[in-house]
Amino acid sequence: MIQNLIDGILTGSYLSLGAIGLTLVMHILRFANFSHAELLSLGAYCALVFDALVTALVPGLAAKLGPLSLTWALILATLISMVLTGLSAALIDRLVFKRVREKGQELSMVFASFGMALVIRNVIGLIFGLSPELYSKDIAFATILSRDPLILVKPDQVFVLVAALLLMLILHLILSRTTFGYALRAVAENPSLAQVNGVNLARTIMAVWLIGGGLAAVAGVFYGLSHQIIPVMGRDLVLPIFAATIVGGIGSVYGAVLGGFIVGIAGNLALVILPSGYTPSVPFLLILVVLLIRPHGLFGEARA
Amino acid sequence: MSIMKLIWAAVGLALGLSALAGAVHAQECTTKIGAVLPTSVDWGRPIAETAQFAVDQVNAAGGAAGCAIEMVLRDTQVDPKVGVDAAKALVDLEGVKLLLGAVSSGVSMPILTSVTVPSGVVQMSCCSSSTAFTKLSEEGKTSGLWFRTFATTGVQSAIGAKVAKDKGYGSVAILYKNDDWGQDMARLIAANFAAVGVEVTASVALNDGQPSYRAEVTEALTSQPDALYLALYPAEGTAAVREWISLGGSQNMILANSLKSDEFRDNVGMQYLGAAVGTDTASPRSESADAFRAAYVERFGSEPNGPGLANSYDATMIALLAMEAAGKDATGADIAAAIAKVTDADGTPVSADTAGFQQAREVLAGGGTVMYQGGTGDVRFDANGDVSAPAVVWSFTDAGTQEVEYLSLNEVDAFIASLN
Repeated sequence: MIQNLIDGILTGSYLSLGAIGLTLVMHILRFANFSHAELLSLGAYCALVFDALVTALVPGLAAKLGPLSLTWALILATLISMVLTGLSAALIDRLVFKRVREKGQELSMVFASFGMALVIRNVIGLIFGLSPELYSKDIAFATILSRDPLILVKPDQVFVLVAALLLMLILHLILSRTTFGYALRAVAENPSLAQVNGVNLARTIMAVWLIGGGLAAVAGVFYGLSHQIIPVMGRDLVLPIFAATIVGGIGSVYGAVLGGFIVGIAGNLALVILPSGYTPSVPFLLILVVLLIRPHGLFGEARA
Repeated sequence: MSIMKLIWAAVGLALGLSALAGAVHAQECTTKIGAVLPTSVDWGRPIAETAQFAVDQVNAAGGAAGCAIEMVLRDTQVDPKVGVDAAKALVDLEGVKLLLGAVSSGVSMPILTSVTVPSGVVQMSCCSSSTAFTKLSEEGKTSGLWFRTFATTGVQSAIGAKVAKDKGYGSVAILYKNDDWGQDMARLIAANFAAVGVEVTASVALNDGQPSYRAEVTEALTSQPDALYLALYPAEGTAAVREWISLGGSQNMILANSLKSDEFRDNVGMQYLGAAVGTDTASPRSESADAFRAAYVERFGSEPNGPGLANSYDATMIALLAMEAAGKDATGADIAAAIAKVTDADGTPVSADTAGFQQAREVLAGGGTVMYQGGTGDVRFDANGDVSAPAVVWSFTDAGTQEVEYLSLNEVDAFIASLN
């Protein structure tokens, strides 16, 4: 029970990171982006490539950091991956979503994002193959916190949680303390009015994709670190991430964070009550319950 | 009557008698048997050709029960609806008493329940492996008309239990894939573990395409079992096993044949798989299997490497031997009952070819029984029409897998019998 709770919080940390990007895009660009989870795969594979590259160029960086399976090379690769994934997201918007947005309707955007998801997933599969990849083939052993009840925590997971919380804090400060943050929120409220007040719409949208993509890349790397990297990871993650976004309330960054943790914990606790075959239904049930009680999600607000 | 006339009459009588004898040899009667096989798919056609090969050999030996055999072949297109229609046409229009097929369990099942059992026709499948048939037979719904020459998943689960017992594991947790096959395996292995006195501490289903199997693995781990049994495919198997090992789970693992994969070995890592052993069914290592292989190569010019070829041959041969044993104008029930006479462990061994069929005819005519030795070894059906198969226990090596133990059909059978 306690173990499930801890595991849920740790799972929630990467779901939250993914959900933040999704909620921003869904709120500001007003469409359900089903390709967002593919940005996680993109980020994870990007980091995989640069991890190998950095290790090859500077072998000294390949040493493990304390009890973690993380290396300096992977940290560096993750930073590069954040930038590249953010840029890819912006590029995809420029090439596909922008054109559809200008000509089509909301539903066209949803289908376009479905299409993009398939394209990204299959291109990754084509390049890297369909079998799982790993940052480190070594298995990082869990530390025993307590023997009775048995509680196990992996050092990597603690790092993931701390790093995720840190990133969320930085984002919180940017959104609440900077002019850029105000501009972002203004565009989300009313794009036309924001433009009248001198906010550059195109640049703000670009910034949203950069932030969303960057956070997705980190989430992807953290997922890969905790589990494995596989081309279908986006498909497997899209549902929990959407559930986190909807439960938290579309547009609310804090809601997305909370939603991520709720979905993570619920998924892990579900096994205590449900037979293991039925656990995939938990995110759906969660969405249903929250929407029945609060139709706009926990932190969401109705808008015209 | 003059002497001349008498001589002519004698000559005429002799001629007539010899003509009559000739008629027996040329078999003016023909018995039709039906076959419903997926001939429109590339792996299905060789299965049908192998069945026809067996029919040709029997006809060369003078046919079964005094008549030449004609196999009427219909395509199932691996579609239950098409298969049922084809089977119905064969039974109602052609009047067959014996139906060979189908390949897929999903096609064989509706044919069995809606065509062959209601019409009292024997159905002999080369390739259906689902344990749903065993269950149906145990409920008495097959009327003893169902047989198959393909081993069920039960063989592998039994060997899994044998491994646990031999290694001295006291308790085992099971992780299984949440599909028909995985559920089947989990159910069977749990019963087999119980039979050999190994405690099953947890049996946890893993769904496809989940982002994390942490919760499932934790569930299996809480009971701290001596070993882990895995009925998973490589992708989720890798994720689950890495999680299991990182959480300090036992590295004693028993793997189903689905994990006999390089991908699984490489991603989990050989350093953690030293104590892992797998199970699989194997081809028999007997003279009769080699003889079938040689005969197949001679006839078709290639090795019988496709799925179910030896099984298809044996299904056809056994069915025709049973027709021979049941005699002329036998009903489906007669043929089904006669199958025991041609697969009798105490019977005279007969080989799988024309000469073997002729020898079997003589033994059967004398009231004896025979033991058919075919492409899949000594075929023996249990009460549910199921067969067993030899098995191997394997382990991973740096280069691939190696055989740890080979269990012949008799050893597998003896062990399965000891479980019940």
